[in-house]
Amino acid sequence: MQKKSFRRGIHPLHHAHEGKMPTRNLETREYVSDIVTISMAMNIGAPATPCVKKGDQVKLGQVIGTANGFMSVPVHASVSGEVTAVEAIPYLGGEPVMAVTIKNDFTDTWCDLEPLGSVEHVDPAKVIPAIQQAGITGMGGASFPTHVKLTFKEGAVCDTILVNGAECETHLTADYRLMLENSVRIVDGLRAVMRALKVEKGIIAIEDNKPEAIAAMQKAAAGRDGVTVQALKTKYPQGGEKQLIEAVTGRQVPTRGLPIDVGLVVLNVGTCAAIADAIIDGKPLVSRITTVTGCVREPSNLRLRIGTVTQDAIGACGGFSDTVGKVFFGGAMTGLCLPNTAVPMAKSTNGIVVFNEKESKSMDESPCIHCGRCVAACPIGLNPYQIKVAADASNFEAADKLHVQDCMLCGSCAYVCPSRRWLTSSFKFAKDKLAAQARAKGGASK
Amino acid sequence: MSEKKNLGKVLFNGIIPENPTFRLVLGTCPTLAVTTSALNGLGMGAAATFVLVCSNVVVSLLRNFIPDKVRIPAFIVIICTFVTMIQLLMQAFVPALYEALGIFIPLIVVNCIILARAEAFASKNAPLSSAADGLGMGIGFTLSLTIMGAIRELIGGGTVFGMNVLGASYEPMLLIVLASGGFLTYGLLLGLFNLIVKKIEAKKAGKEAGAA
Amino acid sequence: MTLRLSSAPHVHSPVTTQRLMLYVLISLLPTAAFGVYAFGIPALTVLLISMASAVLAEAIWQKIAKQPIRVNDLSALVTGLILGLNLPANAPWWMAMIGSAFAIIIVKQLFGGLGDNFLNPAMAARAVLLASWPVHMTTYVAPTFFSGADAVATATPLVLKNSALMDLFLGNVPGTIGEVSKIAILLGFLFLLVTGTVTWRIPVVMVGSVFLFSWLFGADPVMAILSGGVLFGAVFMATDYVTSPITPWGQVIYAFGIGLIISLIRQFGAYPEGVTYGILLMNIVSPLIDRFLPRKIYGHHKEAKKA
Repeated sequence: MQKKSFRRGIHPLHHAHEGKMPTRNLETREYVSDIVTISMAMNIGAPATPCVKKGDQVKLGQVIGTANGFMSVPVHASVSGEVTAVEAIPYLGGEPVMAVTIKNDFTDTWCDLEPLGSVEHVDPAKVIPAIQQAGITGMGGASFPTHVKLTFKEGAVCDTILVNGAECETHLTADYRLMLENSVRIVDGLRAVMRALKVEKGIIAIEDNKPEAIAAMQKAAAGRDGVTVQALKTKYPQGGEKQLIEAVTGRQVPTRGLPIDVGLVVLNVGTCAAIADAIIDGKPLVSRITTVTGCVREPSNLRLRIGTVTQDAIGACGGFSDTVGKVFFGGAMTGLCLPNTAVPMAKSTNGIVVFNEKESKSMDESPCIHCGRCVAACPIGLNPYQIKVAADASNFEAADKLHVQDCMLCGSCAYVCPSRRWLTSSFKFAKDKLAAQARAKGGASK
Repeated sequence: MSEKKNLGKVLFNGIIPENPTFRLVLGTCPTLAVTTSALNGLGMGAAATFVLVCSNVVVSLLRNFIPDKVRIPAFIVIICTFVTMIQLLMQAFVPALYEALGIFIPLIVVNCIILARAEAFASKNAPLSSAADGLGMGIGFTLSLTIMGAIRELIGGGTVFGMNVLGASYEPMLLIVLASGGFLTYGLLLGLFNLIVKKIEAKKAGKEAGAA
Repeated sequence: MTLRLSSAPHVHSPVTTQRLMLYVLISLLPTAAFGVYAFGIPALTVLLISMASAVLAEAIWQKIAKQPIRVNDLSALVTGLILGLNLPANAPWWMAMIGSAFAIIIVKQLFGGLGDNFLNPAMAARAVLLASWPVHMTTYVAPTFFSGADAVATATPLVLKNSALMDLFLGNVPGTIGEVSKIAILLGFLFLLVTGTVTWRIPVVMVGSVFLFSWLFGADPVMAILSGGVLFGAVFMATDYVTSPITPWGQVIYAFGIGLIISLIRQFGAYPEGVTYGILLMNIVSPLIDRFLPRKIYGHHKEAKKA
């Protein structure tokens, strides 16, 4: 099969960074914790409103937070048991969010489910509402509400659904395990969406460092209408939405545009499996596979209930194996650092990675030597070193002219920089400042 | 018309705070071109000083008679007169220096320092303080050119004012007396001068702040 | 338990500035070793003095300027070695010292230190030495290969008529310490390519451009690329990160320009050799090349078509 790819990018030594104990060959384990703390703001858009109160008994899958409008999804209880708190908790540096804490009774009593039946026979009109009802958001990391993604503005035409199984991030093997263990469900989910949107083509794209996953998905896709598997070169950020689109179709999403502008929708493999669960079993999104690795005693892929607290997940993997330096959600290229291990994981948490002291050591910036590695790495085609100069001088206008807004903070430039310059953080800062300026301007003109 | 100025202060102003070469960066063309030796620098400086003082005094005396619209041609005519005088004088009494400076003597006419002082100072001030200004500027210019000439002569030829300083075994660094060496020396001295002046000013400011 | 908070990415490529400089040093080893083999102890002395003075000059300057002392990034050592390789083996010791000090203090540190110099320090220092002591800089000795034969001083290798191409290639010609052996230079280039320290673009385009223009101007093109410092300059000096363009096409334009200037100087200029000036002149314009070369940015070209 011809392997496809995008321009530039980097090779972040996937295997070297997967850790001493690779998780890819370990079967996913189920882990259910005593207590879950479920945030109401797990999706981009409006947070849900809690609809239970302290002391309530809830069943597994019961709605505990109702959606607020179209850009919102409901939140479901991920265990059955007693609600012990409904309160605001601090969350990853941002504003505090409302969260519901449930004490597990370990009976896993499901609430009443309404299965819609086989994905090939379900009424297409019911698919997208069912996706919203199941609380499904993008599970690759962005947590964009999936039903919003699947609802197009007037006149937009979608010709292909891409399923993102690239998993280009370091450390993570959650999608890989899902593709091996749940390949049929992924194809089911894809078919459901294809039927709902009346799209003929569905392509599952997987990096070629996962030949078993490619084989498993090919087997699952055999005989299914319009579903094919595409191998991609192993390169970071192959799983970035824009890069995936460029690699598979050769199209480019216009700046500040969406994939649908070029007739595409991209869904993560986890999202597809969740959609299948929602249609076939009527089950809402209450658990997901998360890779817990780094300096933990038994790195594993765990099927975690949404809202599992980080330290419980680490405990399920034997606890820390070394002095802890930092812990982050996601892979090492884009992962978000946790202030403490009391933070609960969310629907988009695909990895919990622990670094020891040595790995966490922050490095001083040394002078830029203009080696050009950042330019050669940037998958967007920006000049990171020039943007960095502008951003460091707080000249955000110049940074804007250099298209810092097109930067997707993939971290490729900072990874390759021999001077260890903090490129990505400077760009994030510049982007935040520009967004704040735009907001201020918008406010003033009103 | 203008308040009475402290003559000493006006005189000193041209030497360090508003040194034409290193602070105002005026008259760079002769600065770069003639400072291949200390003597050339001194000669150029002296000639320019003569023209500066005389033209400043005359411009100041005539400042109320020259119509504003034609002031630049008028200034130039005044300056030309003195340049021609100094040129003839030098040709008569120091022919060697005259040969060495060559075209740069007549070019004193268009030296920015002289026109700038006529325009900025002499046309607004009394003859006495104009003379002091011209002298101060002239001394500042002469000093800078002589220092630069001495340095370039020393490195590029091993001599200062024609006297051998570094001994016969010294192999001169030719670049410094070439045009590129002129730029190099000028740039380095410019930086050094400003660094020192800034340090002094910072110290002064610190003292004043301490006193207050 | 306190957790460190930092912005992504949390992993970095193992390649650091120091390691890149080390690669350059290693790639220069064959050339330096051949130079010492060909020209004997004087060559070794020149190399050691220029390297030591470059490192010392950097350390002293950073101490005086109260900057963090960064000599362990090895960049000064590279500058010193490249400058040394650019000198004739019989260059006096003080010339190597002055050259290194000039390269580090005036060309590099006064403009802001590593990364901010707009000229290649070693190249600029060589130009200064060439203008200051032209006799010392252009009196080359023929390689002695420790044969005991007296070194024969010659004017400039470019006017040698009898050096066969093979001698030029192997390094049996008079010249500066580093430029004589083309085979050693190519070994170094191979190492730089394998380690990914430089790309092929600048050296290949530059040599190709010299070949092309020498041929167009009526000189022997093979002779043109093998004689003088073309190969050494193409591999080790034109590829200096700081003073060459960053964008791939920018690098092509830059290298092409160097070749053109070298050929123009050689064929029509007053100097026998033009590598130094070719590289220096293109150094000056390389930021402009980067600035004005349009970049294809993802998702932007369609917009441009519409407009």
